[in-house]
Amino acid sequence: MVDILEKLTIVVKRGKADKNSPYPPDLKGQDGADELTAEALKMGFTPDEVLQKALVKGMHLIGEDFSAGRAFVPEMLMAAKAMKAAMKHIEPFFKSGSVKQKGTVIMGTVQGDLHDIGKNLVAMMIEGAGWKVVDLGSDTSFEKFLAALEEYPDAIVGMSALLTTTMVNMKGITEKIKEVSPKTIVMVGGAPLSQDFCTQIGADFYSPDPQGATEYLDALVKSA
Amino acid sequence: MKDHFTVHLEPLGKKVEVPEGTPLKDVLFSYGVEFPCGGKGICGGCRVKVLKGDVSFDERHRSLLEKLNLDFSWRLACQSYVTGDVTLEIGQFDTFILADSSPFLFKPQEGYGIAFDLGTTTMVTQLVNLKTGKVIGVETAVNPQAQHGADVISRIEYAVLQDGQATLTRLVREKFATMIHRLIRKAGGIAPEKIVVVGNTVMHHLFCGRDLTPMASYPFETPEGGACHFTPEELGLKTDDHTDIEFLPVLGSFVGSDILAGILATGMAESKDPLILVDLGTNGEIVVGNRDRILCASTAAGPAFEGTNIHMGMRATTGAISSVTRSEEAIRVHIIGNEKARGICGSGLIDAIAVFLETGKIDIGGRIKGESGRIDLTPEVFLTQKDIRELQLAKGAVASGIQILRETLGFAPEDIRNVYVSGAFGSFINLENTRRIGLLKYPADKIIKMGNTALLGAKMSLFENGDKIRDILQKTIHLSLETNPDFQDIFAENMIF
Ligand code: B1M
Repeated sequence: MVDILEKLTIVVKRGKADKNSPYPPDLKGQDGADELTAEALKMGFTPDEVLQKALVKGMHLIGEDFSAGRAFVPEMLMAAKAMKAAMKHIEPFFKSGSVKQKGTVIMGTVQGDLHDIGKNLVAMMIEGAGWKVVDLGSDTSFEKFLAALEEYPDAIVGMSALLTTTMVNMKGITEKIKEVSPKTIVMVGGAPLSQDFCTQIGADFYSPDPQGATEYLDALVKSA
Repeated sequence: MKDHFTVHLEPLGKKVEVPEGTPLKDVLFSYGVEFPCGGKGICGGCRVKVLKGDVSFDERHRSLLEKLNLDFSWRLACQSYVTGDVTLEIGQFDTFILADSSPFLFKPQEGYGIAFDLGTTTMVTQLVNLKTGKVIGVETAVNPQAQHGADVISRIEYAVLQDGQATLTRLVREKFATMIHRLIRKAGGIAPEKIVVVGNTVMHHLFCGRDLTPMASYPFETPEGGACHFTPEELGLKTDDHTDIEFLPVLGSFVGSDILAGILATGMAESKDPLILVDLGTNGEIVVGNRDRILCASTAAGPAFEGTNIHMGMRATTGAISSVTRSEEAIRVHIIGNEKARGICGSGLIDAIAVFLETGKIDIGGRIKGESGRIDLTPEVFLTQKDIRELQLAKGAVASGIQILRETLGFAPEDIRNVYVSGAFGSFINLENTRRIGLLKYPADKIIKMGNTALLGAKMSLFENGDKIRDILQKTIHLSLETNPDFQDIFAENMIF
């Protein structure tokens, strides 16, 4: 019986979205995350069990592989696609309130910057760890972060930058966020950043990879 | 008896046909090889390695090598004459800068002209006799702005965020003047009719003194990318007043007049069949098109091809593994200068990955098999997992850029007649391996290493009245890849080997 959740964990990790998807080649023709999630729910597993024991686990495994260099961007994106295919079945339960998410994270690539692949990966991982993600896309100004914060006052803000000329924009945005909402936690990341830079601009947390970001978030929930 | 011989220059892959007895100095000069001691045979700066055949070699030459502590596989170019077909390796120069000696069609004119390629890293200029089309002088230098950052973004940062724009402009103009003065002096004080300068958008703005602020963030579009004309006086040149100095216009965003010149050099705007021009540098500029329409873009490949961000990466200088091959079970590395390996340069990295994909040590996702997470090439030099990831990002970005431009124009891969590869790095790569790793997914016989197309195009434009440049500008559209919603998926696909 537990078997199906294990199977689902594996297809999420390996990035098999549905039966028809050709990737990965060795799982051709087999059920993917879409079919297995539907089946698990039909078999009577609660949406929360499916989420925690299969989807979150699968994403965590791919996140670990990514951090260790065993997997890279393409594999991560495929895993995220598989997770999305599974989430279609779980989402209705978020709305009805029968499955609780850990909290909300507002994500955006900072103003002036359109590099969004890293930000997307982190957003997918955070979502895959059981959070609600409000993705503001790229070129995100303070005003856009503020508008989202007004809608989700308890949310954590995550900012990404890939250019040394745009990462400096994080400083102004962080300062303004802290001004209007001192309790809001600001998390930053992106290839040119460092812990030093994070400290300098007054942000709360820096992670070089998605795994670090989800672990930090999870620690926040535990300590709360 | 043959009275002409072929000089084969590796790793450029260039062949030059010259009469017997031609001084090697004359052959190499136009490739930017410098002769620091002026050809006296005492500094060893012009040393080349004989790979096949030989050049003149006498007792005097032998004793010069001995004094320099060089073994007898070396020759001093300044002491050598062509006596037969020969293959030479000229990659070992620390300051090796790619000049150009490609033949081209031109309309003979009176006087002299100067072509100037202002690169982010290096500057190279040639003095051309407009009557004969012959290059009669070359000067090369490292861009003095490099002390304020290696790539264009760090120059922008220095100019805009640290108020260094005026400094960068002064530095580059001073160097420019020094180089032009030297060219002219060595040629006996001639007065050039015109000087054509090309460079990427950031170099254009810094040379011309235009505000770089718009290039610091999205949408990276500058209103001041047009052609700039100068009088000699404005640039501090002590030359005839009539010399017309022009910095050619940029094509859009980060695609500058070096690429405009490259388009001119390839003849793309007149070609019926579609062509591709790729500059394999940090910015990875790409042009696809034919006489009907041309698209260009920059793909921000990153510096992996230049050996930067690679654990043991280095530039293509002495001690770098520059190629890797496999015969049967043995892996062979070639080290520039045949010394102990100190690191690996871009061409070696591509070869190594191609070889280990063949042996199965690296899988198509880029993962190194086994637990060690590294691959040893020599006792000193190894590749890490992260190196392979860096290369995947760089080659994925370039391959995606080419694919997006090609598909936007509605061409299939088979429609492309030729792929021209420009830039220093492009001249050194093994084309089969480039294909194997999925950087350029075209048959090797369609790919042409073209060397410094910016300098060649600038030289060609010395003979033009401006019509061809206007034609290119009119046909060429800059495509901004960052707004393409499919980029991420195409990029991910192209990262796979
Ligand atoms: C909130 O908490 C967190 C926590 C962790 C976080 C986080 C947030 N955000 C990220 N992380 C972390 O987790 C992720 C997963 O590990 C990581 O995210 P990353 O984003 O680092 O990693 C991604 C998963 C994969 N990496 C990437 O996607 C970036 C790869 C490279 C090749 C790159 C790409 C793909 C692109 N580019 Co651009 N590009 C380059 C890059 C060079 C390279 N080899 O790295 C870089 C970043 N680009 C650069 C440049 C200059 C540019 N690019 C540009 C354009 C583009 C493309 C459109 C072609 C494309 C972007 C497409 C897109 N939609 O994102 C231009 C501007 C675009 C814009 N308006 O912003 C342009 C300005 C110029 C140009 N030549 O066109 C360079 C920046 C140099 C500098 N000094 O800052 C560059 C390093 C390449 C270079 N030339 O050296 C971590 O950083």
